[in-house]
Amino acid sequence: MATLEVSLSRDPEGAETTQPSRAPREIEAPASTAWPLVLAFGFTLIFAGLLTSVSVSLLGVGLAVAGCAGWFREVLPSEHEVVVPVVPDQFVPVSSRRVVDRLPFAPEQVRAWLPLRTHPISAGLKGGLAGGVAMAVLACTYGLLKAGSIWYPINLLAASVYAQSLKLGASQLNAFHADSFAIALLLHALVSSGVGLLYGAMLPMFARRPIVLGGLIGPVLWSGLIYSMLSLLNPLLESHIDWLWFVASQVAFGVVAGFVVVQQPRVTTRENIAFAIRAGVEAPGIIPQRTGEERP
Amino acid sequence: MSTNVSAIETPQSAAPAWTETLHEWVTTVDHKRLGILYILYGLGFLVMAGIEALIIRIQLMHAHSSFVSPQVFNRMFTMHGTTMIFFVVMPILFGFANYLVPLMIGARDMAFPRLNAFSFWLTALGGLLLYFSFLGGNGLYGAGNAPDVGWWAYAPLGAKAFSPGHSTGYWTIALLVSGFGSVGTAINIIATVLCMRCPGMHLGRMPLLAWLNFVMSGMVLIAITPLTAAQMMLLVDRYLGGHFFDTQAGGSATLWMHFFWIFGHPEVYILVIPAFAFMSEIIPVFSRKPIFGYPVMVGATVGIGFISMSVWAHHMFTVGMNSYANSFFAITTMAVGVPTGIKIFNWLGTMWGGRIQFKTPMLFSIGFLFQFLIAGLTGIIQSSVPVDWQLSLSYFVVAHFHYVIVGGILFAVFAAFYYWYPKFTGRMFSERLGKWHFWLFVIGFHMTFDVMHVPGILGMPRRIYTYEPRPGWETLNLIVTIGAFIQAAAILLFVYNLVVSYWKGAKAGNDPWDAWTLEWSVSSPPPAYNFATIPVVASRRPLWDQKHPEDPDSRYE
Repeated sequence: MATLEVSLSRDPEGAETTQPSRAPREIEAPASTAWPLVLAFGFTLIFAGLLTSVSVSLLGVGLAVAGCAGWFREVLPSEHEVVVPVVPDQFVPVSSRRVVDRLPFAPEQVRAWLPLRTHPISAGLKGGLAGGVAMAVLACTYGLLKAGSIWYPINLLAASVYAQSLKLGASQLNAFHADSFAIALLLHALVSSGVGLLYGAMLPMFARRPIVLGGLIGPVLWSGLIYSMLSLLNPLLESHIDWLWFVASQVAFGVVAGFVVVQQPRVTTRENIAFAIRAGVEAPGIIPQRTGEERP
Repeated sequence: MSTNVSAIETPQSAAPAWTETLHEWVTTVDHKRLGILYILYGLGFLVMAGIEALIIRIQLMHAHSSFVSPQVFNRMFTMHGTTMIFFVVMPILFGFANYLVPLMIGARDMAFPRLNAFSFWLTALGGLLLYFSFLGGNGLYGAGNAPDVGWWAYAPLGAKAFSPGHSTGYWTIALLVSGFGSVGTAINIIATVLCMRCPGMHLGRMPLLAWLNFVMSGMVLIAITPLTAAQMMLLVDRYLGGHFFDTQAGGSATLWMHFFWIFGHPEVYILVIPAFAFMSEIIPVFSRKPIFGYPVMVGATVGIGFISMSVWAHHMFTVGMNSYANSFFAITTMAVGVPTGIKIFNWLGTMWGGRIQFKTPMLFSIGFLFQFLIAGLTGIIQSSVPVDWQLSLSYFVVAHFHYVIVGGILFAVFAAFYYWYPKFTGRMFSERLGKWHFWLFVIGFHMTFDVMHVPGILGMPRRIYTYEPRPGWETLNLIVTIGAFIQAAAILLFVYNLVVSYWKGAKAGNDPWDAWTLEWSVSSPPPAYNFATIPVVASRRPLWDQKHPEDPDSRYE
């Protein structure tokens, strides 16, 4: 049966036209066999015998041995295969949608990675940590004014994940507790860095008003979510929170983090460059010599 | 040619006898047939688990109901949970992986075809063994048949003293046997992805479905192992007089919980990562745009794989661990939401500015996006230890994880069914019935699982056989039950659509969705050998390159 099949292959030079290539007339495929089923059945019966009768397990052992032997004979000394005739298929991949729309962001480029320029990862980290400091200053100020202690908001923050902090009495909430402080510090640093990284990645995509988004809309939405949920889920924790100050500290984080992020220099998006190059690994001969500046 | 080529298959001129067809399917080692067997097997068990769910919901429909006895109720929720996780969702996802991964990476079969058959049969026989307990679980004690210890079988409930007879034994052995099958399939997928890719398909060009199933398989190897070890220990306790989990004799009940959940939580991601894989293939095609942030999607998946291994004890906040452990698991649980959130952003980024086609697969994908987001948010809420103390063991938790499993994973599975059905069968399904299925299921799902959060917040505990007629409880539970029946009706419509379309659906052709991955380059259904000539690819979207030679992706990757 002589067949000619269109393959998806491209020639070594990367020519972009579809080239018909000659397909084989027959292809070898693994032969069907019942031995895996026999072995699986034997294996199951070995265990089932624990609950029923030892004779069931013995039958299982027999089937398992037979299954193993049969399986070995399937693959040794050579695999048992069948020859399957190739059925001609003249399919040629064609799209009914020939027109490709281009987003009008970078008309000078056929393909563009959006955003065209973005911040390095360090910008997000710096922004997050700076925002975290601003938030902490405001929260501690609130603690001093409300309870006369900077430890009050710190213990509250720890209480969101650390059960011992939630058990603290009213007077103990104003005192220093090393474990609560360590957990609050770690949590605050992690979350601030994480949100900062998110800002670094997202603010370039909302290039018109990054501070409004990151400094106002995001924190207010987040505060609204917490406000609506916390009274329902954890009324004890909620009773300790002054929501005006809470929103203010969230906004302080957003404004400072957003400001720091947008002040950082932008770099060209280099998503199309090999990870090894972006990671600074020099391996000439292994990494394709592409710099990312070859986009049409 | 091999020296052991014994038969030549010729094109069939007449329909084979049904016995011959049955023999071909039972002895097959072809990845596509095994994939279909996995899926049909999972669908069969879906019917069983669905009936069990309806029995649970009828019982809880109103206060002081006696539709079933307390003993039967316990068996129903045990069998429902065990069946859904181990014998419905896992087999269906393995079935899709089996069918699609070789086709998408340009291979002719899985790396180990016979191991593939062995793994399937182990899984299948494990499920049959579980249901055989209805006949054999009594043992000599007359103590009840099917397992009734919950799908987690917490110690000491699983001990012989509290669970006489063999019902828990069947549960243990069924999971043990099917677990070996899962490990076999995972090894096969990993070997196939690493060793069988066609020329040009380096890891950076591999379809996301293959990538995500690769990560999922690695997780299976790590997560199933402690479950298997724990099952062995439980068998020793029950039948050989061991005391691993016997607190009266120096054992530890908490040890079982750790073993179970170090499997159990990664298991959630083992189930949801293939659902992510479906989304990552379907959303771009129906948005007519390439996936947004391919490398980040891969990185986020690997990140989920790692982080999800360190969150298991958030299921145990109420056990009484020390505060440091509570804090660690609270923080890691929050952290796992980050890469998951990145994925949701990227799917939205893919849809943004695209020419979205609201076909049935896309409708289910959009449903997945909304619902999985909510499921994730209720999960993050519970990562807070004090909040978890309030909500744990309540119907809020039941609603949360059903939001993940049904609202997330099952919606993605439905999307996958509709998307690849033409490839599996060569026929198009009825788009009209598909949309009916979607809207009915959406209504039923939200009636059931949105409302179910509320009794949980009001304090209704999970696993209770019946309840007092407290304010609001009865109405809410009635709505939940009605929603469950609407979902059941939607699933019947889905099955009807699949069956009728198989016989009467329009011919699909090779590429009905104008898609870009390799499986759409072969006939529908694909031939036994998949590819007459092994393809060579130069980009992540080889069919795009073929369809748009003036502007191929290969020029930019």
